[in-house]
Amino acid sequence: MKKTLIVLSAVLTLMAAKVSAQVANWNIAPGYSVAFSTSGDAAGIFKTLKGVIKFDPANPGGSSFQVSIDVASINTGNGLMNTHAKSAEWFDATKFPQITFQSTSITGSGSNFQAVGNLTMHGVTKPITIPFTFQRTGAGGTFQASFKVNRVQFGVGKSGDVDDDIALKLSVPVTK
Amino acid sequence: MKKLLILGVVSGLLAGILSFLYSKVYAHYLGLDFSSIATPAKMILASAIGGLIAAVGYFLLQRMLGLKGEAVFNLLFTILSFASILGPIATKLPLDMQSPEMFPWLVMPMHLFPALGWMTLKPLFFPNKTLA
Repeated sequence: MKKTLIVLSAVLTLMAAKVSAQVANWNIAPGYSVAFSTSGDAAGIFKTLKGVIKFDPANPGGSSFQVSIDVASINTGNGLMNTHAKSAEWFDATKFPQITFQSTSITGSGSNFQAVGNLTMHGVTKPITIPFTFQRTGAGGTFQASFKVNRVQFGVGKSGDVDDDIALKLSVPVTK
Repeated sequence: MKKLLILGVVSGLLAGILSFLYSKVYAHYLGLDFSSIATPAKMILASAIGGLIAAVGYFLLQRMLGLKGEAVFNLLFTILSFASILGPIATKLPLDMQSPEMFPWLVMPMHLFPALGWMTLKPLFFPNKTLA
């Protein structure tokens, strides 16, 4: 009987530990912004962002991001530039309709974190590190990130008039 | 010159009113609202300024070229109006504006209205006195 109780308590302890290690799922809330800019005219936003966000600031190791952006949702503010950006010369939205990011590890503490993972764009997958912050706001929170992506390495356009490095700025409010 | 300036302003106002009516029809049938960019005031003011510039241009061409002035003016007015449609094509709208690719289709016809207004009203201001 004593042996059974010990085994049972050990199992319960393990289960409790597993439950506490489970990381919360966050839903992307309206009002998010995925903006890109260069030193020139090429700037705009992607209007669609979807994904599965599992994040716990106290347990970044158990957290993960799997997000995607619809390339066709690009908006530069100019119809001609939008069409051009979606064409085969740039993003080739018909052939590669999505830009995706899958994290492999998340580290950090407080409100500053780093997500290491694979970014797939224009059919090319490359590892990338995205520094980000997470601020709790009531029952929700907001992720913010600013980083650069070398578009030429992903085969998006050629080196020329537009900067190779595109600055990305993300602000993603989330709710549970 | 005074009559020309009046023609310029009146034809510009007519073009502005036409632009406003066209924008209403466009918004109604396509369900796209660009009224925060292409405001009625901007449409009427831009058309009136266009009419005034046309009046000055007409006056100068008449002085320089005499009888040929009118033909050259009409040709230039049409070509410049047509060339000006490049403006809306290159315009960058605020990023929260939906369907920016449809904006030029609203504004491009408006760029032809001042010439249309001028050529419509000119015979009323300067009727031909002689017939060949």
